[in-house]
Amino acid sequence: MFGYVRPRRDLLDQAAFETYHAAYCGLCRALGKQFGFRARFLVNYDMTFLYLLRSSVAEPCGVRGCWCPARVCGRKSCILDDDGFGPVAACTVILSYEKLRDNVRDERFLRRLPFRLLTLLFRRAYQRASRMLPEFAALCARQLAALQELEAASSPSIDATADCFARIVSGCANDLRDPNQRRPMEQILYHTGRFLYLADALDDLKEDCAKNAYNPLRYRFSVTDGTLPQAELDYLSQLTDSSVNLAGAALELLPMHVHEDLLKNIIYLGFPAVFFAVKTGKFQARASLWNHRRHKTNTGEA
Amino acid sequence: MKDPYEVLGVSRTASENEIKTAYRDLVKKYHPDNYANNPLADLASEKMKEINEAYDAIARARASSSAYQSGGSYQGGGSHSYNYGYQSSGASNPYAQVRSYINANQLDAADSMLNTAPTRDGEWYFLKGTIAYRRGWLDEARQHYQTACAMVPTNYEYQNALRTVQGGYTPYRQTNYQRSDMDEACNLCNALLCLNCLCGGCR
Repeated sequence: MFGYVRPRRDLLDQAAFETYHAAYCGLCRALGKQFGFRARFLVNYDMTFLYLLRSSVAEPCGVRGCWCPARVCGRKSCILDDDGFGPVAACTVILSYEKLRDNVRDERFLRRLPFRLLTLLFRRAYQRASRMLPEFAALCARQLAALQELEAASSPSIDATADCFARIVSGCANDLRDPNQRRPMEQILYHTGRFLYLADALDDLKEDCAKNAYNPLRYRFSVTDGTLPQAELDYLSQLTDSSVNLAGAALELLPMHVHEDLLKNIIYLGFPAVFFAVKTGKFQARASLWNHRRHKTNTGEA
Repeated sequence: MKDPYEVLGVSRTASENEIKTAYRDLVKKYHPDNYANNPLADLASEKMKEINEAYDAIARARASSSAYQSGGSYQGGGSHSYNYGYQSSGASNPYAQVRSYINANQLDAADSMLNTAPTRDGEWYFLKGTIAYRRGWLDEARQHYQTACAMVPTNYEYQNALRTVQGGYTPYRQTNYQRSDMDEACNLCNALLCLNCLCGGCR
């Protein structure tokens, strides 16, 4: 479920865009530093958003040119903020590992093999990350188990299924101490998670119907042929709009020092643009190993 | 206390009008109506208090140095307007306890109490919807509010809640973050075309 959190680049100024990239590169560097080189492959823009959100309440950090393995020569500027990136990198590893495990569960024997191999590769990183954030790792396992139960029962409630995933996402901020920062952040992340779940469900609807797999929208709106009628589509848009509004209302209460433009762009402009693209069938998730689309079930981790 | 100018986001040399505009924009953004039923309503009302105090502090400071005419700060701040006004009816209202649980954000307690209620009237559906809304379960909230409105079509509180959950009302969103439509540009083009024709016709 990575790839749905994006800014509207055309409406982002150059300085903010560079900060966004520096945060992405900083996260990649932190992953490598904490969890070894291979963890660098787990970097993604969704977790960059998490970092931007979490660090928005802190003082600004310096930017430095860093070596980038994906680049032959030259350096890339990246934000240096070990304290800020630490928990975000751990969350990235935990969520990615859970996603791999879910793929192993869902796939048939032969297709399952590569994912099994990858879980072995990332097992140690996962163990270290769950030692860093034991509460978050436990929360993930608990909510995913709850989600599987709902799926097995073919739950028609989009709220209950989205809630399992949204709680995982909002758990990414539960280590913060100050309630004035934690509470708005949890609300932003909860509704981000809800938005991601619904967007992903809509994106996968056709495929899930064809494969007779679980999709909450199928049971909620009694869809049979894989397309949602216009009235239901409008209703779903209103639901995601409400989530965006609630995330925005919480964002306004966050005592932000930096990254305000970026966060507002992602929430107010990026989310609706992504949902519009999904709705019209024009959304293309970044083609990568981690964006593997599930075939049997449509569970919602990361 | 924080620097009042910082709270309002204006410079120390800002004119009276600039301060008033900044103040009004902030009041619009953090107005209790925007945070009705929102679990963060208490933070919003704190923010509102801070803004009011900052505005009053600036007005006082300027009045002492010159004859500064303050428009007076917004007095409706706080969360009273949406804090379920009739809790005081006490034991006569079986839902009073549920409402006070909701106000204290104890949603599980409120929900289990509601589930044991003998009747399911409009108020029951409204409270059920409010609990769902506070949890972020927007689909369920909408269904319950719609049932409540259908059962008691005259209740203003239910209609308001339904309107909030239906969205489309986002006053805190700054204008530059409003989704841009092509319509405005088209309207402008059309207006210019019409103007051109009219001017041409006058020749």
